[in-house]
Amino acid sequence: MKKPANDSLQCIAGIGLRAPHYCEVLEKLPKLGWVEVHNENFSGGGAPLRTLLKVREHYPVSLHGVGMGLASTAPLDQAHLSALHRLCEAVQPAAVSEHLCWNAVPDMNINGSMVINDLLPFPYTLEALSHVAGRVEQVQETLGRRLLLENLSSYLSFTSSEMSESEFLSELSRRTGCAILFDVNNLYVNARNLGVDAKAFIKSLPADAVAEYHLAGHCMRDGCLVDTHSTQVCTEVWELYEFALQQIGPRPTLIEWDSDIPALTVLQGEAEKAQYRLEKYHDFAK
Amino acid sequence: MILLNNDLSDLAQAIVHGKAPSSQIDTSNQNYSVAIGIEVYRNNYRGNLHDTLVGVYPVIEQLVGKDFFRLLTRRFIGQNLSRSGNLDHYGAEMADFVAAFEPAQELAYLPDVAALEWACHCAYFADDAASLDIDKLAQIPPEQYPNLILHIHPACHLVRSRYPITAIWHAHQLSASGDFHIDLDSGSSNALVSRKNDVVLVDKLTEADAAWLQSIQAGTQLGEATASTLEHYPDFNLQAALLKLVAQNVFENFTLGETP
Repeated sequence: MKKPANDSLQCIAGIGLRAPHYCEVLEKLPKLGWVEVHNENFSGGGAPLRTLLKVREHYPVSLHGVGMGLASTAPLDQAHLSALHRLCEAVQPAAVSEHLCWNAVPDMNINGSMVINDLLPFPYTLEALSHVAGRVEQVQETLGRRLLLENLSSYLSFTSSEMSESEFLSELSRRTGCAILFDVNNLYVNARNLGVDAKAFIKSLPADAVAEYHLAGHCMRDGCLVDTHSTQVCTEVWELYEFALQQIGPRPTLIEWDSDIPALTVLQGEAEKAQYRLEKYHDFAK
Repeated sequence: MILLNNDLSDLAQAIVHGKAPSSQIDTSNQNYSVAIGIEVYRNNYRGNLHDTLVGVYPVIEQLVGKDFFRLLTRRFIGQNLSRSGNLDHYGAEMADFVAAFEPAQELAYLPDVAALEWACHCAYFADDAASLDIDKLAQIPPEQYPNLILHIHPACHLVRSRYPITAIWHAHQLSASGDFHIDLDSGSSNALVSRKNDVVLVDKLTEADAAWLQSIQAGTQLGEATASTLEHYPDFNLQAALLKLVAQNVFENFTLGETP
């Protein structure tokens, strides 16, 4: 891996920027610490890229991927990776992140891949660890920078897992130099759905490797918490966030909202709540 | 990676085809069954693809109505797997699909409207490219004009149809006003899709201009493309066609080919 570029996100709160707010943000230039976008929405040129470049003139931008499938057993999609590389060159993002998940398996019928456009769980095994580590290294090598990897919200787990997700992430970070994007809501969802011990998870993360927090809302379907990013951050997630701020320390924090997207002021309000807590715990370094 | 691939393939079959997952899934969870967990993923899978198709094919959805479109996308998703981690690549097969979709056979123009919508979608996300440099073109000596090879901008597409698809498309845009009466027997339509100042445009081309552009798209040299167009359309006006198409940002650049 080449010399990793320092992540230049400041330790303040930002928001996920989605299409319904592009115009308003560019017109009013509201006070936002930084913004994060899904890089898949900007894979070509034209209006999407032009909009993002304008946003970039006013705010630090973090590129967050949902489609790389780092744990997939189908080959790494080189076209997808080179689109991300080109976007990085154009935007000069403050951070680049992806999820610890898979989305594709080989399809022998067409000598290609069968893709499920979602963030899917896999068993945390040593075999998977070396597989994912190899792919993370490939991506970091191509982009010439450190990748942030996000813990997953899951609705199922595997009996074949040999370690916990936090052990997997920690070891992945140690092997590849990748950073950890800790999504507090995802952890809460897993705690409720799968019985993961949330506080033990937080305590076991290597604080130095954690480079960003995500906060979002979820909803309940048939007894299962679904990570819909469609509501405000719930009280329990704020509490876990405060626990993480004490254990790990303050890091750049993002409010994510992807469906039933509310007025921009609602997102700003959520970001202010995160900012308040970041400042409250700013002395809890490391 | 063999064991990992077994587990992933198994879950993929459960999500996409509804097959029962293997025993590798942990069933000790007390809050909900494995079947409910799988169902959440199945709903996500189909919902994401459906929403993608709604975004790409708004005119088709208006033409057939929301309920019928939902039926149509359900069948489409059942027959067409996603092949890319980027959802913007999903849905290319819609024109062929609706052409063979029994319940929509009465709407003969539907496949061509779908082809036009896919072309618009691709145009919107196409890579950036230069626009033809007219000054550079003016420096070419006239005797070399027949050897010009014009390169098409990546956002430019031509969709030719027996039906008035350009009028149908325009009538179903948000900016359209009033009730349009479209005579389906009003003849063929050649829809030119291009992108200018990042805005996707849909314009109608004459038969002659479309035939000429199709030939140019295939990489034919200017002289040969023009001669063959004039053979079929004696009133084809090269200069007028060029002016119109250059103004629509159809060309990216040019090279000079060998004299055949």
